[in-house]
Amino acid sequence: MSGRKANNVDFTLLITVLTLLAIGVAMVFSASSISSFIRDNDKYQYLKSQGAFAIIGIFAMWFFSRFSYKKLGNLALPLVIISMILLVLVFVPGIGVGSHGAYRWIKIGPQRIQPSEFAKFALVVFMAKGLSNKKEKVRSFTQGVLPYIILMGIYCVLIILEPNKSMAIIFAAITFTLLFAAGAKMSHLLVWLTPIIPAGIFILIKDKYSLLRITSYMDPWSDHLGSGYQAIQSLLALGSGGIFGLGLGNSRQKFFYIPEPQNDFIFAIIGEELGFIGTTTIIVLFMLLIWRGLRISLSCPDMFGSLLATGIVCMVAIQVALNIAVATVSIPTTGISLPFISSGGSSLLFMMINMGVLLNISKNIKANGS
Amino acid sequence: MSSVKRTVKKRLIVLLAGFFAVYFALVGRLVFIQIINSSEYRQKAMEQWTKDTVVKSRRGIIYDRNGKELAISATAYEVSVSPANVKDPEAVAQALSEVLGLDEQAVLEKVKTKKASVTIMKNVDSEKVKLLREKELKGLSFADGSKRFYPQANFAAFVLGFTNIDNEGLNGAELTYNKYLTGYPGRIINMYDAHGKELPGSDTKYYEPKDGLNLVLTVDEVIQHFAEKHVENAWVENKAKSVTAIVMDPNNGDILAMASKPDYDNNDYKKAPEQYLGNWDSMSSKERQDVLNSIWRNPAVNDTYEPGSTFKIITSAVGIEEGVVKPEDKFYCAGSVMIGGKRLKCWRSHNPHGSQTFVEGVMSSCNPVFIAVGEKLGAEKFYKYIRAFGFGEKTNIMLPGEAPGIVRGVGAVGPVELATTSFGQGISVTPIQLITAVAAIANGGKLMEPRIAKKLIDNEGNTVYEFEPRMVRQVISKETSDTMRSILESVVAFGTGNKAYIPGYKIAGKTGTAQKVENKVYAAGKYISSFLGFAPANDPKVIVLVVIDEPGGAIYYGGQIAAPVVGNIMSDTLRYLDIKPQYTEEEAKLMQRPAVVVPEIRNMSLKDAIIKIHEAGLKYSVEGEVDYTNSSLVLDQIPKSGSNVNEGTTVILAVKPVEQ
Repeated sequence: MSGRKANNVDFTLLITVLTLLAIGVAMVFSASSISSFIRDNDKYQYLKSQGAFAIIGIFAMWFFSRFSYKKLGNLALPLVIISMILLVLVFVPGIGVGSHGAYRWIKIGPQRIQPSEFAKFALVVFMAKGLSNKKEKVRSFTQGVLPYIILMGIYCVLIILEPNKSMAIIFAAITFTLLFAAGAKMSHLLVWLTPIIPAGIFILIKDKYSLLRITSYMDPWSDHLGSGYQAIQSLLALGSGGIFGLGLGNSRQKFFYIPEPQNDFIFAIIGEELGFIGTTTIIVLFMLLIWRGLRISLSCPDMFGSLLATGIVCMVAIQVALNIAVATVSIPTTGISLPFISSGGSSLLFMMINMGVLLNISKNIKANGS
Repeated sequence: MSSVKRTVKKRLIVLLAGFFAVYFALVGRLVFIQIINSSEYRQKAMEQWTKDTVVKSRRGIIYDRNGKELAISATAYEVSVSPANVKDPEAVAQALSEVLGLDEQAVLEKVKTKKASVTIMKNVDSEKVKLLREKELKGLSFADGSKRFYPQANFAAFVLGFTNIDNEGLNGAELTYNKYLTGYPGRIINMYDAHGKELPGSDTKYYEPKDGLNLVLTVDEVIQHFAEKHVENAWVENKAKSVTAIVMDPNNGDILAMASKPDYDNNDYKKAPEQYLGNWDSMSSKERQDVLNSIWRNPAVNDTYEPGSTFKIITSAVGIEEGVVKPEDKFYCAGSVMIGGKRLKCWRSHNPHGSQTFVEGVMSSCNPVFIAVGEKLGAEKFYKYIRAFGFGEKTNIMLPGEAPGIVRGVGAVGPVELATTSFGQGISVTPIQLITAVAAIANGGKLMEPRIAKKLIDNEGNTVYEFEPRMVRQVISKETSDTMRSILESVVAFGTGNKAYIPGYKIAGKTGTAQKVENKVYAAGKYISSFLGFAPANDPKVIVLVVIDEPGGAIYYGGQIAAPVVGNIMSDTLRYLDIKPQYTEEEAKLMQRPAVVVPEIRNMSLKDAIIKIHEAGLKYSVEGEVDYTNSSLVLDQIPKSGSNVNEGTTVILAVKPVEQ
């Protein structure tokens, strides 16, 4: 063990994650202070809980950076089973917690956690483990692709029932990206698009809410007080920030113009307070994270570690892309949080666990890199 | 390396490139939103954050010519609610409805609306606001405002007019001088959150309102009081439909007073008029509005009438100016004249005036005299002067809704029309036109534009703008004016206008009694009696016109009922203006006669009445055709019983033959 450089974690990645975490805590405080002061007479409420989860998250990251990821591989199946149970428990009265008509949380003591965050982690571990064992069979449709699509399907059904369509989209995106990365045949992946298109059209016609979101995406001003409201408010926040922003803490849009500004639309508040400089800094930090993460995948000697790192990176990359695309009104509004930055304990905790795992994998890469 | 591993490596690089491409595209979006379109979004965001609040300017005070306040702006408040700040809507609604006397349910609905601010009531006085403030309810706000207040309700209502709830002038000088009185509103620009609450630390921008200018009228509060008092008395005594008086300075066109009864309370101009109180509730809103519109009409300016004999002043002046008649010219009245195959009667056809001079003709208001003058003038010349005197067009007095009156086109004037016009029929004028025209005859021939406002002053009393008197044109020569003044003086001294006579003052004037025209025919028993007089006759300072519309008593001649009103207004006004009376020896003697009380003689037989009048030391005169052989019943008397008069004063009696 002595003198092995491989013992060092990827320092750039670590700094990037800690920087994002710090920005996140600061921005959650800035964005939430007004509404939490008005509602609960405590402007530090979100700062306290987000700060606490950040500290817990750092410990979790530290722990998983020292916990050999190879052992995780053995836990793949139990993780999936536990996550499924938790996703079902969401619907059990007394355990599941509802909010705004959606059952996405379960209560553990005073804290509520989001099982889908855990399930995301379980899915990545299970797929990395399974696909790394498949080797050449990954090119088989029935053995390589179909089982994971089925698994994804089960997850998606449970999550859509909560309902949390946005989360289901992320599950699907992670599954397909991992299958792609693992070397599945393109035709085996593209064939799934054929039922998706008519299904999508069907959902749009059946579900007026979704349709409304699409139309308000195409022309948000057409219904600026209704379904286009959030999109407009996000644009106004970003736009009024300009290049340099109004200054940290000076957002006006957080005064109830953007509902729950510390959550899914925190990127708009960052744009308003820190300007284009702030928003591009965030994007560059995530690009740095993606680059360092995929670099770890590329240089990891074993297939499981490589695919596990890829899954974790994809999970972050997809969520960030979707969140920012929503905030910039590049795609229809859908509720996806910005990793490390949006408020929310479960999301942050599992992101930090994922980073811990990624850092652990980085320890095992060859000293000279790839 | 296995082929799978190679594929994985390739695919990971594709993924990296793919993610980076998406992220760069998002940066591109941000360039578009935050740099290229930034100002547009910032503008829109600004619009949603900021809100303008109008700060009302104080409406200018309206003063009389001597600085007495006739219309002021009292402090009043606008009570509004910011629903976002209300903790307990029910309690707020209850308090508001209780103090302001509003329907609780309606208020509660307003309190619960999703708006930044809702106005509950305007023009709330400070005492009620104090009551509400004491309740310490959250979400209520009291904006300073003002409420128009006329300290002497009804006073000069037609000149002043009134304002609506938003302090905009709706009638009278309030309307015509509105733009000067209102000033400019100020603004408060503030930032608000999405719930309508003010943002903390937002820098409030305040643009101060500019108060309205104060208006100084030509109206003299004291003279207005005289006019109002005597008009009201005349209205009551004569049971008239309405009575109107205008007092003017003939030299510059200043309106010193303008009064009409019935009038309205400009503090509460939508109040039901007394005569409609009984069925007000059962009237439709349109009917009510029609009634209100009619009581808001200013008869002095908005209504036209046939001037009758008062118009003979114009005919006389034109005749003298054109040299077709001289004061001493002889005329003969046979009771009627045949004109264009039509018999035109003199008002005293039962007792024709016979041979008389022109001056005597004016004194007795003899129609054939004026028919002759009109004939000599010819239609073209006569109508040119009528228009030159301003008839048929607005005088441009600064009061709303002025009527232009109707003057025939010369082409439509035949011999009959020429004859009737010469004694004041077949022409329709407004009181303000007539007094303005006669003022020109009194002042040396200058037709002045009647003026109600002297100047605009700021709050420190500095003059900001002066409305100069404006001469429209010289209509007749000074010489003609001089002649006319002395002729008209004799009308009061010895003629039909003697009831306007005031001992010690030289008063000139002319009576007028016209049958009312309704639907283009003369309405039986409906008259408009008027008198137009000015004084002192040699140097006129005041000209007064009194028009009595539909006097209800048996005596309706202008000389009998309108002349005394002019005399009373004139007498008060001249003394107020400190124009000293100069008694002739004869007058001085008369003045020393003891005062007596006029006895009640109505409903007595004429014989008994005469005896009673003699016993009281008074003289009498009987109106109308009287058959002394029959016993007649006294219908009416002037002066009324109980009046204090000098011994030897004449009591006029209206009688009716008793049916056998």
